Amino acid sequence: MARPAIRPTRRQFLKTSAAVAVGAGATRPFGTPALAQRPKLVYWCYQFLKSSDDARANFAQEWAKKNNVDLQISMVPLKEFLPKITAAIEAKATPDIIESDAVELRARGQLLDVTDIYKKLEKTYGGWVGNSPKIMLEPDGRVHHIMYGFQGFMLMSRDDLVKEAGLTPPPATWVDMLAYAKKAQKLPRIFGMGIPVSNQTDSQVWEDMMKSYGARLADEKGKRIVLGDYKPQVWEFLDFFTEVWKAGVLPPGVTTWDNTMNNSTYQSGKAVFILNPITLSLWLEENNPELLAKTGHYTYPKGPKGLIQPVTFGSRAIMKYTKVPDLAKQFLWDSMEPGKMDREHGVSQWGPVLKAYLGFDVWKKKPFMKGLIDLSLRGEPQGYPDVFNDAWREQHTNTTISRMLQRLVVDNWSRDKAFVEALDVLGKIYSKYAV
Amino acid sequence: MRTRESLGGMALLAPTLLLLLGLVLYPFCYAIWLAFSDKTVGSPGQYVGLRNFIYVLSWPQFSAAVTNTIVFTVSAVAIKFVLGMAVALVLNQRIRARNFFRAFLLLPWVMPAFVVYLVWRWLYDPLAGLINYALLDIGVIASPIAFLSDRSTAMGSVVVAHAWRNFPFYAISFLAGMQTISQELYDSAQVDGASRIRQFRHITLPGLYHIIGVVLLLTTIQTANAFEPIYLLTGGGPSDATMVYTMLVYVMGIMNLRLGEAAAVSTLFLPLLVGLVLVVTMLLQKKANA
Repeated sequence: MARPAIRPTRRQFLKTSAAVAVGAGATRPFGTPALAQRPKLVYWCYQFLKSSDDARANFAQEWAKKNNVDLQISMVPLKEFLPKITAAIEAKATPDIIESDAVELRARGQLLDVTDIYKKLEKTYGGWVGNSPKIMLEPDGRVHHIMYGFQGFMLMSRDDLVKEAGLTPPPATWVDMLAYAKKAQKLPRIFGMGIPVSNQTDSQVWEDMMKSYGARLADEKGKRIVLGDYKPQVWEFLDFFTEVWKAGVLPPGVTTWDNTMNNSTYQSGKAVFILNPITLSLWLEENNPELLAKTGHYTYPKGPKGLIQPVTFGSRAIMKYTKVPDLAKQFLWDSMEPGKMDREHGVSQWGPVLKAYLGFDVWKKKPFMKGLIDLSLRGEPQGYPDVFNDAWREQHTNTTISRMLQRLVVDNWSRDKAFVEALDVLGKIYSKYAV
Repeated sequence: MRTRESLGGMALLAPTLLLLLGLVLYPFCYAIWLAFSDKTVGSPGQYVGLRNFIYVLSWPQFSAAVTNTIVFTVSAVAIKFVLGMAVALVLNQRIRARNFFRAFLLLPWVMPAFVVYLVWRWLYDPLAGLINYALLDIGVIASPIAFLSDRSTAMGSVVVAHAWRNFPFYAISFLAGMQTISQELYDSAQVDGASRIRQFRHITLPGLYHIIGVVLLLTTIQTANAFEPIYLLTGGGPSDATMVYTMLVYVMGIMNLRLGEAAAVSTLFLPLLVGLVLVVTMLLQKKANA
């Protein structure tokens, strides 16, 4: 005969639960000591070119295993980085290490001082390449992010088409480039210049062109707008731009191109010239070696006042909120080890930042890497001759110069009207940072 | 006894009230406070009075954003309404494979916005897009049209893509409403010799007023706050031809990390959105009372 079930009282239930909880707590230190002691590191890895991203992520995994670190990697594309980090900072749930937008976060006091690592790397690996110090060092001598690679826009040219048109690549000046583009293009299938004139930051290559005509946006201190003093130079540049627009060398649709469209236009063989980092060449190496063989890689053509060749960079930084600053610094240091960087450069878009990296074989093995070395050695920080500061950056993301050009060709504004608006916008932006 | 009862009632309501305050009122008030501060990402921000509003009002793209937001919202809602109603009327008839079409109708709506707008961008592409290819092939046009990159066609193209993705919500809602209208009404109208159009005007439409009201209200707010179509198709361009307020907020708040200015744009648009919603509500109320 089955005994009737005895239902425990609430008091009994709570008593039993408490006993179980205490018992479980008491056994925990014996059960998982290693897990409890493993330090945790959250790493937001820049996502762009798969082979390069994989190399950095794989290194991080190996490093974590070796150092018994509980590593969490998130691959974050550049376009998503700012929205994500903005939310993370406001929610006080930031990663420890990041690989994007360090300069923006540095200016807002979000990064840990890593001057010690900067100096140690400089001393150990023979010094920094090119303008790396200018990009990393702040006026007070402190450093908040460690560069691991240069990259930047280069002139990529369909040398086969250029030669077919009886010309010798590369064009020396922007005006030459237009002449080459007109002659080498095969409308309506192949357009001369795959360059955006839109509201996306890649369109700011026009700002670089304008500066090679002698103009600059702000004064030496990067505080006061002086573009108004350079009206003749801007007008000369606008003459050039108008000629480009009228020549029909820009594919239809460039006024709303995003930052991928110049790539895809070149990849599909529809442009003679584009201005792009060598990420495209690495893609072609894998997917379209025939087109890569026809492609030449050069620094920018010159303007009437010389060459303006800006470089961008990849860098790592530590968020100031990290609970494991020493561990994060150790990661930054270990990730710059030459053996590791040699393997990484072979599959990446990055140019060398430390002199110890200049001897890697990869620079000789891949012909298109030569342009990258030139860029690393001679490229100027973004914005040059303007100061790369918050104000410059804001006008850059606002695509001020490209917007001025769109006013001319999309809205049919007069030059004066478009120029006045650009000056007004620049003035508004710079005045916010002038204090 | 009554006091005890009302206290008990208030105690039961308190969690919901607190949740509402925390999830609705706090963010709302915080956004308003942001608009009056110089808050940037990572900084606490200080009170700056009307400085952000003055800055934003003098920003060249702000007036374009006001006009474009109204044009985008009104035209997209109108197209979605007409299209949704037409499709609902068709699917309310006894047609073959009706259930299949009803399910199929939801396809654009359930697809991720990202996929939908990238497909539309490809369709519109002047170099490789299907629309240009087809128009060129049948000889309608002589050279490709840059749908998204010409000021005269950009907004219309974005509206079409947005309407295509969102009209199924209208259609399904209207269809659900039509199924609650008694068939007897149509039968007696038919006996009286009422045409299809008269049946629609005097039976279907009045029977749907409440649903139309809710749908228009919700989707006017949703359309005015749409971000993906602009961001993915044009980025607000060419020039400022499709710059709507959500895009401006994104550029100021996320790209430039200046949350105070972004909040000021949102705050300035608040009366406009409330106004749009009020107009829709009043029009429908008037119609329902008539």
